[in-house]
Amino acid sequence: MTEKGSKTIMRSFIEPGKLVWVILSLVIIVAFFTSPNFFMPRNLRNIFLIQPIGFGLAALGQSFVVIAGGIDLSVGAAISLMTSLGAGIMKSYPGVSPVLMILVFIAMGIAVGAINGYIVVILRVTPIMATLATMNIFYGLTLIYTKRTIGGVPHEYRVISDGRIWGTPFCVIWFLVVFFLCYLILNKNKLGKYIYAVGSDDEVSRLSGINVRKTKFLAYVIGGILVGLASAFLTARLGGGGPEVGRFYELQVIAAIVIGGVSLAGGRGNLFSVLGGVLILTLFANIMNLLDLNPFTQIVLQGLVLILAVAFYSKKRAG
Amino acid sequence: MAGREGQYILEFRNITKEFPGVKALDKVSFSFRYGEVHALCGENGAGKSTLMKILSGVYQPTSGEIIYKGEKREFRNPHQAQLSGISIIYQEFSLIRNFSVVENVFLNREPANRFGHLNRKKARQVTQALLEEIGFDLDPDKKVEDLTVVQQQVVEIIKALSVKADVLIMDEPSAALTDKEVRKLFEIIKTLRGKGVTVIYISHMLEEIFEICDRVTVIKDGQVIGTNDTRDTNKDELIRMMVGREIEDYYPDRPPKSDKVLMQVRQLGKGRKLSDISFELFLGEVLGVTGMVGCGQTLLAECLLGIERKDGGEVFINGERREVHTICDAIEYGMGYLPADRKNMGVLGPMSVKENITLANLKSYLKNGFLNKKREKKDSTEQVSLLNIKTPTVESIMRNLSGGNQQKVVISRWLLKQPRIYIIAEPTRGIDVGAKVEIYKIIRGVANEGNAVIMISTDLPEIIGMSDRIMVMNEGRIEGIIDQHEATATEEQILSLAVGHQYNI
Repeated sequence: MTEKGSKTIMRSFIEPGKLVWVILSLVIIVAFFTSPNFFMPRNLRNIFLIQPIGFGLAALGQSFVVIAGGIDLSVGAAISLMTSLGAGIMKSYPGVSPVLMILVFIAMGIAVGAINGYIVVILRVTPIMATLATMNIFYGLTLIYTKRTIGGVPHEYRVISDGRIWGTPFCVIWFLVVFFLCYLILNKNKLGKYIYAVGSDDEVSRLSGINVRKTKFLAYVIGGILVGLASAFLTARLGGGGPEVGRFYELQVIAAIVIGGVSLAGGRGNLFSVLGGVLILTLFANIMNLLDLNPFTQIVLQGLVLILAVAFYSKKRAG
Repeated sequence: MAGREGQYILEFRNITKEFPGVKALDKVSFSFRYGEVHALCGENGAGKSTLMKILSGVYQPTSGEIIYKGEKREFRNPHQAQLSGISIIYQEFSLIRNFSVVENVFLNREPANRFGHLNRKKARQVTQALLEEIGFDLDPDKKVEDLTVVQQQVVEIIKALSVKADVLIMDEPSAALTDKEVRKLFEIIKTLRGKGVTVIYISHMLEEIFEICDRVTVIKDGQVIGTNDTRDTNKDELIRMMVGREIEDYYPDRPPKSDKVLMQVRQLGKGRKLSDISFELFLGEVLGVTGMVGCGQTLLAECLLGIERKDGGEVFINGERREVHTICDAIEYGMGYLPADRKNMGVLGPMSVKENITLANLKSYLKNGFLNKKREKKDSTEQVSLLNIKTPTVESIMRNLSGGNQQKVVISRWLLKQPRIYIIAEPTRGIDVGAKVEIYKIIRGVANEGNAVIMISTDLPEIIGMSDRIMVMNEGRIEGIIDQHEATATEEQILSLAVGHQYNI
């Protein structure tokens, strides 16, 4: 191989979207040496199939928002609010059908996304301020509604996360379908093109006749729906909901998409790599658990990882 | 198209455009034929761009009519003009950098089914076909950020053509291109003309106009001077049409020539944009630097000041070689900079006049780590009366001052700092006549006090009136330096240097 060729290959791996797979392999190797328990089938199934789902759905939602040039800091609080409300509804009406409940979660997600979108697009509040404020509002509303975890989610609903078809966890199929839909919208659809265009350069987009505000608003709504679905899944998996469920989620979700190569400046990123970022952070959390690290230390380390990731990518972009 | 030969596709009738306080266009009337390449030329600020913005729907005329294909039309927005077949290629490209060629060409017009599912294959085919049509080889899947400037230009052209343009406006299309690339562009333009497209070609490059254009219209001060067949005219006539105005004499007197060199620049270069820049700056002089917009004057200033990194070359100040890496170095070596973009780069709008005056010099007002407010106030009050800055008090908010007074504040900021070398860009842009005269006096004043001024301006009367010597740039090179101690330069002389044409008087 010529020097130029190998250089090109090196460079293509340093590209944020591809680098994520290199890091993922490294993390798996590290995991292998950290704990013999890592490769236990049960642990593997957990970290590769079950744990990333709620987190992954939220990260997909964040990707839409960030690629469109926004950001959503209210994810965590929104998840706390929606899981609490969802669990509360099921406690009050134990016979409610799971399908109806999922629709309720989606509706709540649309509401959350529309609120964020409205504040950013119509009221023209910068995304960071808008969602910082709604984060407070959602979290406060959660605490007004309940101070503690609400359990007692009926068995029929928990099938969403625990049920299986031909040995495959139901939620995995569920996730793959949602992921495929997101992929279609973002990569194969007009709306997706506009989301990238608006996130890259809203002035050029405007001159090209794209409805910039509508596009941004829809990105927030799609983001909201995905957070709603994440809440639906988490409620099923945990068997309940509460103020603590979404705690620190915003940071993790943003870390995952940044590691997955989504540019916080907007317009760049792809969903497959986001999935890689999600897996890396899940593995990272798993390793810390297997090492028996103090949960508060874990939070500190997650913050550090985010700073490292962002610093690395911004340095790369700068040259 | 043969049947419509000689007929007009587009007519301007008495187009007038007024902005608050300025008449940018004054009863402009002329017409374009089917399938011609029609050049539009004039000095900076003559009104060419305003006229094109009216045609492409960005601005609405104050009065007057546009007759397009035999009908009276109004274009309320760019989209409407585009749908009617009028496309414009702006000077700054309007492409999304991380999108591919195909994606840019079809931005907002993506072929898709009714669910919005994209038909990439079709978009790619059409793009490919357009590329073949204009005879340019380019990978449609490449990202725009990986393309050369001429390739990006081609993407813009294809984007404009993909909506079936009958009129294509090109605003300074060659400004960023190398000679070879310009050849390529001309071939494309000829192909387009062959297909009956009317091309409106805006350029400062007279050579180009004679090579590619069928007719040329000259605009000056918002009025049409005339339209000529390029066969029946010549460069000298065009230049005369573009200039021809009296130079008013409100400029201060020039002092005798000095031969003490304050700064010397040798072989400075930066990429393709600046090359082989060598000149001297004499003590006590005002060195005017001029040329058409984008000829490299601003970049030269930024390289001298360390805002942009130069590729090579040496700078000597007072005979000593100085490496200027940042603007702080530049200030350290005695330079002061008044940028052209006063609003964004020179003025802190929400802060007070006083704070704006002392900004670059705060260190000297520190006493035990605190600002000596009293002295700050005294000095700024002094400056206000010295430069005759019209403001209620020094505590007034900067934003509320007029443009001329804001400019004086920015100047006084540097006066306090007492640099030796002032680099001043467009000192009187957007400033009324009264304030202009005062600013000219100040500039002459600082030069006389044993300093030197590099004054960058595209305003020719100002350059001629103020400069001891005039350095004319063209495409990143010094085309010539005119010493006004011998004889006052004429606008024709400067303009012909600026467009790279030896004008014989």
